[in-house]
Amino acid sequence: MINAKPTLKSTLKALLYLAPLLIVTITFTIWPLISSFLMSFYTKYNYFTNQVKAMGGANFAYLWQNPDFHLAVRNTLVFVIGVVPLTVILSLGIALLLNQINWLSSFFRTIYFLPFVTSTVAISLVWNWIFHQDNGLLNALLGGSVDWLNDPHYSLTALIIVCVWRGLGFNIVLFLAGLNNIDNHYYQAAKLDGASAWQQFTNVTLPMLAPITVLITVNEIISSFKVFDQIYALFHGQAGPANADLTMMYYLYQKFYVEGQYPVAAASGVVLFIFIVIITGLAFWYFQRHSIKIWGRRS
Amino acid sequence: MQVTLKGIQLAYDRHNKIFDQLSFHVQDGELLALLGPSGSGKSTILNLIAGLLTPNAGQILFDETDVTKLDARNRNIGMVFQDYALYPQLNVMDNIAFPLKMAHVKKATRREQAQKLAKLVHIESLLTKFPNELSGGQQQRVAIARALAKKPKILLLDEPLSNLDAGLRVELRDEIRHIQQVTGVTTIFVTHDQNDALRIADKIIVLANGVIQQVSTGADLYRHPRNLFVAQFIGSPKINTIPVANLIPYISKEIPASILTQAVTAAFRSESITNDPVANALMTNLPVTMTHQVQIGRDSQTQLQFENNRLISTAISDNYTQKIQTINVAPRGFFLFNDDDVCIWEGDAHD
Amino acid sequence: MTRLLKNVIRYGLLTLGALVMLLPFAWMIVTSLQSPTAVFAIPHTWFPSSLQWGNFSKAWHAAPFARYCFNSILVTFITTLGQLFTSILAAFTFTHLHFCGRRTLFAGLIALMMVPGELLLIPNFVTLSRLHWIDTYAALIVPWLASIFTMFALRQAFHAQPRSIYYAARLDGASDWQYLWHILVPASRTTITAVAILQIIASWNSFMWPLIVTNSDRLRTLPVGLTSFTSEAGTNYPLLMAATIFVIVPLLILYLGLQKYIVAGITQASAKGSSL
Repeated sequence: MINAKPTLKSTLKALLYLAPLLIVTITFTIWPLISSFLMSFYTKYNYFTNQVKAMGGANFAYLWQNPDFHLAVRNTLVFVIGVVPLTVILSLGIALLLNQINWLSSFFRTIYFLPFVTSTVAISLVWNWIFHQDNGLLNALLGGSVDWLNDPHYSLTALIIVCVWRGLGFNIVLFLAGLNNIDNHYYQAAKLDGASAWQQFTNVTLPMLAPITVLITVNEIISSFKVFDQIYALFHGQAGPANADLTMMYYLYQKFYVEGQYPVAAASGVVLFIFIVIITGLAFWYFQRHSIKIWGRRS
Repeated sequence: MQVTLKGIQLAYDRHNKIFDQLSFHVQDGELLALLGPSGSGKSTILNLIAGLLTPNAGQILFDETDVTKLDARNRNIGMVFQDYALYPQLNVMDNIAFPLKMAHVKKATRREQAQKLAKLVHIESLLTKFPNELSGGQQQRVAIARALAKKPKILLLDEPLSNLDAGLRVELRDEIRHIQQVTGVTTIFVTHDQNDALRIADKIIVLANGVIQQVSTGADLYRHPRNLFVAQFIGSPKINTIPVANLIPYISKEIPASILTQAVTAAFRSESITNDPVANALMTNLPVTMTHQVQIGRDSQTQLQFENNRLISTAISDNYTQKIQTINVAPRGFFLFNDDDVCIWEGDAHD
Repeated sequence: MTRLLKNVIRYGLLTLGALVMLLPFAWMIVTSLQSPTAVFAIPHTWFPSSLQWGNFSKAWHAAPFARYCFNSILVTFITTLGQLFTSILAAFTFTHLHFCGRRTLFAGLIALMMVPGELLLIPNFVTLSRLHWIDTYAALIVPWLASIFTMFALRQAFHAQPRSIYYAARLDGASDWQYLWHILVPASRTTITAVAILQIIASWNSFMWPLIVTNSDRLRTLPVGLTSFTSEAGTNYPLLMAATIFVIVPLLILYLGLQKYIVAGITQASAKGSSL
């Protein structure tokens, strides 16, 4: 049992146990993965007969020249740059505050986490109401009259507000886990060495949190690249005023579901995937270079 | 049931053989101890007998039946693991009854038998508790009761006492002996502590580096070690060893020249070193300096320096005010080993 | 004194943040209890003089919310259970069974976690339409019956159980199957609950997939039903907010009841990141 060698019989048995997972995974993950790469090269494709008459790079060339796609990439990048640093810094700050208090700490955590368990679509509808130009709560509180959802200058900001608001809780919990993982001995040692609270923070807390911060940042970048639900609900099935909130994912949805241009949509999906692979690759490179064992497995 | 291992070979890969040609035999109803330092392969033998490991070559027999290829769950073996391996989500009752449940015993019967076993190991008041609510000793008892539940033909105990503190250890050690006698089940237990083995085992197998050094009773291992390893491993304090060449001038007893030429190492027990005259002494008037004397409970230990060798004696009376100048060595507990570390001569075997 | 001041600042900031977090929820509830015209009154009131509890039953009947709710529960329930089943079997296999290609297969599956699900949207849609599954429960459920993340989290939990327990169970006469369901699964129930809850949250709130593979009202889940209701409700914000509450409240209750498992689950989830 301990030193058993795999045999034909044991392999068959294992396959039987794995079969349910493998069948679903092959059908709905592995095959479509291959298929979407292939499809992005279909240039003449009939969906109804599933016939491919020609293949080539035309879909990518189309994207390269398509102003809508340029807009989508630009909007996505602006959105990512708007959301990610804000979310990471705010959630780190809140996690640090939560870590410093004893009383009511879990009560606050519960509240900050609420948006995560809330349907994105549902809460985006609430935000839609809050952003209402004449009767919305936000303008009433700020004393302004901004048309958050119909003015292309503000609609992306509105989207960023909703996404930051929703993303905080999840990242706070991750940061708290990271903070808990810092051995108290480091602080005791730093105190003995005469480090002030600020010095302890910069010399112990921040370096020890570096790996989890990278992890959270990468995760946040990837999920921001894929933003869709919030847009759909916030702008009632539109990509914002004058496509001001057209992101890459929304572009894919429009090409695919609204316009039925499957190969172009698949190609835009591949471009999105390449962005994600590059970011993941960079993170991987970072971890390799600093040879950091991420927590849970820290040696 | 008798257990026989014949020519067992086990290797994790081609270069790391754990056992090569390992053979031994356990009598029906015997309490056998596998004794050896860590890494000697004791637990591996248990895993082989249990069927958790499969040998690369050789046979394992239960009575006359070859079980080498038999699946672990069909061997009818009770095993107590070093970490007890209690099922965390089951209470004590369900833990003990689990093997019976797997054997499709009716629920009422299961409960009744589990209660009986709990009584045998004195945990009848803990039946509704969960493993994480129990002390180490209590968990150990549960593990023994569970191992006995399906009335195994063989009981295997892997370091059953090593996680317990001293007092509990002694108590449970005697308990194991008692249970084994009541049930009469052939029992093999693994330990690195000679005291456990010497106290309760009918027979002891001393292992080192995957090789059986000697199979015998505890008394015999002490009195007649087959080789230097056994002589050094059994007995506390550790036996004194000195190169024979240093001792030749002081030997007063006649030792055949053929033996002396082969002998490389001399070893003698701490109790055979005394400053009193000894009848039939093996060595007399070894010049020594006394470096240290401590009282350890009933015994006093005296450290002596002889040339470049440190000796320990337990036979020098305490509160000895005068610095000891010379010592004598009694023949009993004196051994000579050749350059293969095999014992070739015993001091008191030739009177 | 400085310590007191520090604490005042800390609690002040946290309270301010908490108010921002709660604001949309509070506004949703306040709006849902007002009349359609009262909500447009400026200045806003946080304490409406008359509470329109009838909004909830109006909203419930304005669209087939009972049906949406049933669909959401059904899909969430079967998806979660199915996913646990496939993942438990696979996680056990990767923990305890010996077979050819075990390491390679496991590494391959883990690598799949990097693939964004959205990339698979189009081919999966094509597959389902070839199977004539579009607008069926099967389309909502079957593609989600396997989750590599769930499998991975469970394998980590199974791996953490002492191996001696597996050997003890086998010696006690249990087969692999019996060990799995009698010992391993109950012993890992904390992790199983945690991943189950994360999956319930994901299933319940999932939007894009049900939006694409359902056309008829009969099969819509709550989030999809809610967005289609927005066009009917128009500017009747109280009804819209009441409907929003239908979607949000079940999970809020689940969350408040089982919070500790969710936090544990997310901590598990970060193990996904460490497999980068």
